[in-house]
Amino acid sequence: MKWVTWENVGVDRMACAWLIRRFIDPKAEFRFIPSGEKSLPKGAEPFDIPGVRLSHRRGHCTFHTLLREYELKDPLLHRIAQIVDEADVVQEVNVEPVAPGLDFLCRGLRAISADDMQAFERGALIYEALYAQLAAEAT
Amino acid sequence: MPRSWLLLLYKIPPKPTSRRVYIWRKLKRLGAVLLHDAVWVLPDTPRTREYFQWLAAEIIEMGGEAWLWESHPALSGPEANLVQQFIQQTEAVYRAILTALKKKDANLAALSRHYQQAKQEDYFQSPLGQHVREALTSARGDRP
Repeated sequence: MKWVTWENVGVDRMACAWLIRRFIDPKAEFRFIPSGEKSLPKGAEPFDIPGVRLSHRRGHCTFHTLLREYELKDPLLHRIAQIVDEADVVQEVNVEPVAPGLDFLCRGLRAISADDMQAFERGALIYEALYAQLAAEAT
Repeated sequence: MPRSWLLLLYKIPPKPTSRRVYIWRKLKRLGAVLLHDAVWVLPDTPRTREYFQWLAAEIIEMGGEAWLWESHPALSGPEANLVQQFIQQTEAVYRAILTALKKKDANLAALSRHYQQAKQEDYFQSPLGQHVREALTSARGDRP
C-alpha cells in the first residue's frame, strides 16, 4: 500500500512510518509532498496531515490515532504513543523523560539525512531501540 | 531579510468553557504573546510552525475557527517592542528561578525543570538564561 505525508519529517511522522511498516503494512511505500500541500495523490493513504483521518485527534499525536484506528493493543506501543505525544504536542504535564530528547534527535536526524526517505529509514532504528528498551524495562 | 512571524487568530464556541482554558493554557505553555487581546504571535521556526498548525487543527476539530498566517512586519518599530515582550516574558521566569535559588531550602529538581521549560520558550536567547544555567549547576555543587 502507498502512504503519503508532508515532507520534513519529525518525531511523530518518523514514529508513524516505523509503526506502519513494522505493525500495519510491511510492504508500505512512502511518498512525501511539500508541507501545506492540500492536493493529495490518489490511491495513497495520507497521515499526519491536518484534517485527514490519520492525524492528530483531541490533542493527541498521529501515532495515537494509528494505534486506535488499527486496533493495536501492545502496551509498549501505547507507551511510545505517550512519549511521542509529549515530544510532539504542547503538553502541560510531562511524565516521560525520554520525550524532549527524542524530539531534538529526530530533528537533527532529518537535518543530517539526504532526504525524508533516508530520515525515515534511520529513524526506524531509533524507534526499534526505544521499543526494545521499553520491553527490557517491562520484564 | 526581515523576520517572519506566525499569527494565530481563533474563535472557539463559548461552551464548554474548559476548551477555551485548554487552548489558552497551551498557548501560554508555548510562550506565545497575545497582542491586544486579539492575535497570538510566535517567531516563525519549523517547530513553532508545526505546533501552531496542529493547535489550529485542534481548534477546528472543536468546532471553532482558526486562521494561521505567516507575516513580515511592514513597520519595524513595533516589531522591536514585540521582541522585547518575548524577552521580558522569559526573563521574568528566569528571574523567579534566580530568586528561588537564593532560598536555603530551594527545590533544585523543580527549579531545573522550570529552567528547561523556560529555555524552550526562550526564542531570542536571553543572556539571563546562561546565568540561570550557571547558577543551577553551581547550586548542584559543580566545581568551576
